[in-house]
Amino acid sequence: MNNYLIKSSHILYIFFVFIMLFGFQSLSVADEGKNIDDQTKELSYLLMCPVCQGQSVGESNSNLAHDMRDIIRKQLEAGRSKEEVLAYFVSSYGESILASPPPKGINWLLWLLPGVGIILGGIGITLYLFKAQKEDKNEGSQKINTQAKMDNEYMKRIEEELKDSDS
Amino acid sequence: MKVLGNSGKIVVLILILGLVTLMGYAIFGNRDIVKISPLIGKQAPGFTLKTFDGQELKLSDLEGKTVLLNFWASWCMPCRQEAGALESSWQKYKDKDVVFVGVNVWDDNSNAQKYLSKFGGGYTHGLDPNEEIQVDYGVGGVPETFFIDSSGNVRDKFTGPLTEQIIDYFVLKTKQPQENES
Repeated sequence: MNNYLIKSSHILYIFFVFIMLFGFQSLSVADEGKNIDDQTKELSYLLMCPVCQGQSVGESNSNLAHDMRDIIRKQLEAGRSKEEVLAYFVSSYGESILASPPPKGINWLLWLLPGVGIILGGIGITLYLFKAQKEDKNEGSQKINTQAKMDNEYMKRIEEELKDSDS
Repeated sequence: MKVLGNSGKIVVLILILGLVTLMGYAIFGNRDIVKISPLIGKQAPGFTLKTFDGQELKLSDLEGKTVLLNFWASWCMPCRQEAGALESSWQKYKDKDVVFVGVNVWDDNSNAQKYLSKFGGGYTHGLDPNEEIQVDYGVGGVPETFFIDSSGNVRDKFTGPLTEQIIDYFVLKTKQPQENES
């Protein structure tokens, strides 16, 4: 019985190791294939299609975009880094080929100004809301005071009329 | 409720206009556009073309000569428009160390052959089997023509159909330093 248990646990162990090895191997193969695909796709969205209106290489179906995607893939397969691939396209088409301008020189403005705009807009909205809240409070307290005054006068008149009617 | 006074409103308006102006300048001002090739003044990317008569043509084989590299396709109407000018200019310059090379791109081979028999002229035409030359040269459409000087540097790029006058202008301009050097 013991022997049987040992054997079955060994079999289970071997089976588990086999599954793990097979699983990892297939996973790593899938990852390798996926990496090039993903990188090609990622880079194709970082480049603008030179013959299209506002479309990236990844979005376009033009012949040129097709050629460019092939070249990205070939260069990645040849071991070039993403930066080197992008630099190759910039050397052929200029910086306007890049979907987002590199943060240098005048391009810094494009990266900073939207943030500055958002911050200034946020400050403006905050100031507006604070002021609006403050004015609401002031108006509210004024209304309460007026109402209280009116109530007092009304009560006085009722008391006076009651006294008159009693006497 | 009054959040800003008149002066405050003017300051906000100036700020908004300033931001919009800066953004506009950053996007459109002082920026290279696609039509100005970054290759100008640099070494021309090397290539090996498979010519339509079955030969191989390398850029390095043309060293010492002025090269007119014209990208075309059979479906391209402006290419047909410039074909006559290219042929007559080639006749004029073929014995003056100027080489005309036609590069067929984004095309069907049989259509390209038909086009060549009708509009091809006498100079060499070929295609890049790897379809990389058009991207190496930053071609965005056809026709586009590059003028390469005798030391292998790209001197100019012209987008659109050529005329004899345009070819004369660029070929002579490209040949100029060569003549000055000698």
